[in-house]
Amino acid sequence: MSDANLTATGKAPGLEGKAGGERPSARASGLSFGNTWLRKLALPIALVALLGGFALADDRILTSYNLLNIAQQASYLALFAMAQMVVILTRGFDLSLGPTVSMVSVGAALAMMGMGGGEANGLVVVAAAILAGFALAVACGLFNGVVVALLGVSPLVATLGSMNIAIGVATTISDGRPVQGVPATFSQTFYTGSILGLPIAIVIAIVVGGALAFVLSRTVFGRSLYIIGTNPQAAAVAGIPVKRLLVLAYILCSALAALGALMMTARTGSGEPNLGGTLSLQSIAAAVVGGTSLAGGRGGVATAVLGALFITILSNGMNLTRIDGYVQMIVLGAIVILGVVLDRLRLDTR
Amino acid sequence: MSSATTLSTRSGHASSQEMLHLVLRIGLLPILMAIVIIGTSLLSPYFLGWMNVVNILRMASFLAIIACGQALVIIAGGFDLSVGAVVALASVVTAKAMAAASAAIGGPEIVAIAIGIAAGLGSGIAVGLFNGLCVSMLKVSGFVVTLGTMSAAAGIGLLLTNGIPVYGMPNSFVQAIGRSQFLGFPLAIYIALAVILAMVFVQRRTLFGRYVYAIGGNQEAAVVSGVSIRPHLVGTYVVSGGLAALVGILLTALVGSGQASLGGDAMMLQSIAAAVIGGVSLRGGIGRVEVVAVAALFLTILGNALNLLHIDSRIQPIFLGLIMVLAVALDEFSRRRTARV
Repeated sequence: MSDANLTATGKAPGLEGKAGGERPSARASGLSFGNTWLRKLALPIALVALLGGFALADDRILTSYNLLNIAQQASYLALFAMAQMVVILTRGFDLSLGPTVSMVSVGAALAMMGMGGGEANGLVVVAAAILAGFALAVACGLFNGVVVALLGVSPLVATLGSMNIAIGVATTISDGRPVQGVPATFSQTFYTGSILGLPIAIVIAIVVGGALAFVLSRTVFGRSLYIIGTNPQAAAVAGIPVKRLLVLAYILCSALAALGALMMTARTGSGEPNLGGTLSLQSIAAAVVGGTSLAGGRGGVATAVLGALFITILSNGMNLTRIDGYVQMIVLGAIVILGVVLDRLRLDTR
Repeated sequence: MSSATTLSTRSGHASSQEMLHLVLRIGLLPILMAIVIIGTSLLSPYFLGWMNVVNILRMASFLAIIACGQALVIIAGGFDLSVGAVVALASVVTAKAMAAASAAIGGPEIVAIAIGIAAGLGSGIAVGLFNGLCVSMLKVSGFVVTLGTMSAAAGIGLLLTNGIPVYGMPNSFVQAIGRSQFLGFPLAIYIALAVILAMVFVQRRTLFGRYVYAIGGNQEAAVVSGVSIRPHLVGTYVVSGGLAALVGILLTALVGSGQASLGGDAMMLQSIAAAVIGGVSLRGGIGRVEVVAVAALFLTILGNALNLLHIDSRIQPIFLGLIMVLAVALDEFSRRRTARV
C-alpha cells in the first residue's frame, strides 16, 4: 500500500467503531457492512469448534481444571498480544517485545536481590521489582518511540535495533545466567495469589484488558491511535500530535509487556535472560490471527484476546492429544496463514 | 542517488555543506565501513590477515545471497520472514535426498549430488511459490504469510530430522562445494558474486526487474499501466526462497551435514537488516542489490571486528542494534525532505 494511494482513497476515519472491526478499512470500504456479524463471530465460533473438536478427542479438555489452566496460560499471551496490538494499530509493530520481557525479568529479579531478597520487607521488595521492571521497559519503549516517530525510521528497523540492544542488556546484567531467589511475596503478588477464586494472572489480564479497552475506545489518546493508523496524513492535518502519541503508544506497548514479564518471572521463580524468546513473533501472530490489521487502524482488545485464546487452546489441545511438538509448529504456521486468509475472504465477500 | 542530487540542488551553495554533499552522494555505508576497517586494523593485527579476510568474505557471501532475495521481495512491497527457516529446510532436504540417492544408486556420485541439490533448491522454491501465491492470489500481507511459513518450514525441517544432524552425503560434495578453493578464495564467494551480478542485471535490464520496482512504487499505477501484478509478486518470493535454499545447500556443504539449526531467526533478521541498511525502502519501490551486498559485507565485518576487539559477546548485540538504527536514521535524515509527510 503506497501512501499516495491511501491519501487518494482513505476516507476521513470514523469514530463510531468499537474495538472490533465495524469501520470499513480503506481497502474494504463499501463491501463489508453486510458481513459485520459474520466477521465478528467467525473467530469465537472457530474457538468453540476447536474446543469441541479437542473435547471429542480427549475428555480432559473440558474439565474445569483444564479450562482454568487454559485461561491462565492465555492471560500471559493476551497481555503481550494487547501490547503488540497497541502499536500495530498505528501501522507499527514491536520486534523488541520478547527481549524486553527478558530484560524486565532479569532487571526486576536483580532489583529484588539488591533489596535483600526474601529477608527484607515484602512490600518494599515487590515495589523495587515493579519500579525496576517498568523503568527498563519505559526506557525501551521511549527509545522505540523516539526512533520511529522523531527520526522517521521504520518500526521494523527501530525495534530490530532495540531488540538487539535489549538482548545485550538482559544477558549483560545477568551474566547470561538465571537470577535466582525471587521472594515468596513477589510470587504471591503476581502468580500464586488469587482473587475471588480466580488466579491472579487472569484477574490482571481482565483488569488490564478492560482498562485498555476503555482507553482505546473512550479517550482522545485511544481514538487518535486509530486515526493515525488509518491515515497518518489526515491525522497530522487534523492537528493530532502524531509524533507524541506514537512515542506514547510504544511506551504503552513496552509497559504492558513489562507487566507480563513480571507475571512470568513470578511463575518461573527466577529472572531468566531468555524468557522472551519467541514472544515477539508469537504476540504478533496472536494479534493478527485475532483480526488486528497490520495495515493499521483496525483491531482492539477483543482481537488481541481472541487471538491469544485461539493459539493457547490450540497448543493446549495439541499437547493433551499428544501431537508431536514439531508438528505443532507446522500447524501453528498453517493457522496463522489460515487466519489472515479467512479475514481477507470475509472482507472480500460481496 | 537521485534523491541526493535533488537535495544538493535544493539546499544552497554554502561551502560548509560541501562535506555533507559528499557524504550524501557516496552514502554513509562506505564511510562507516572504512572507519570500522581502519579502526579495527589498527587495533588488531589479525583483522587484515588472509585467513580472516577469507572468512569474512565467505560469511558475507551467505548473507549477501539471502539479502539479495530479501531485497527483491521488499522492493516489491512485501517481506520474507521465512528465509531463515528455508535455509534450515533446504539443508535438511538436500542432505536427506543426497544420502538416500547415493545409497540407492551407488553409481557416480555426481548423480546423487545433483539430485540432492535439486531437492534442496526445490524445497526453497516450493516455499517461495507458496508464499507468493498466498500473497498475490489471496492478497494477504506478506509479513503474516511468511510468519506462518517460517514456523511451518522450521517445523518440517525438525520433523524430518528429529533435530539430529543428517550425515551420509557423498564426500565429493563436501570437498567440491563446501571446501574447495579457486584462486585462494572459497567457491561460495564466486557463487555470491555471480548471484549479485545476475540480480543487478535482472534489476536493471529485465522487464521483471523493472516491473518489480513499478509494483513496489505504486501498485495501482502499475496495474493501470498494464503490468500483471500476480506473476511478478510470485516471482520475487520464488527468487527469495530459491536463494535462501542455495545458501542452505552451501552451508550444508561447508559443515558437512544437514542441520535443522542452520539459518534460523538470526539469519532472517540479518537479511532484513542488510537490505534496509543497504537503502531498500520498506515502503517498496526503492533499492539496489549491489548496495545491499555491501551492507551485508558491512554487517559481517562489524561482527568480526567486535569479536577481534574482544568486545564481550553479551554486549555485541547492543553495538549491532545501535549501529543499525543509527545507519538507517542518518539515511532517513539525509533524504527526509524528499517525499514524505
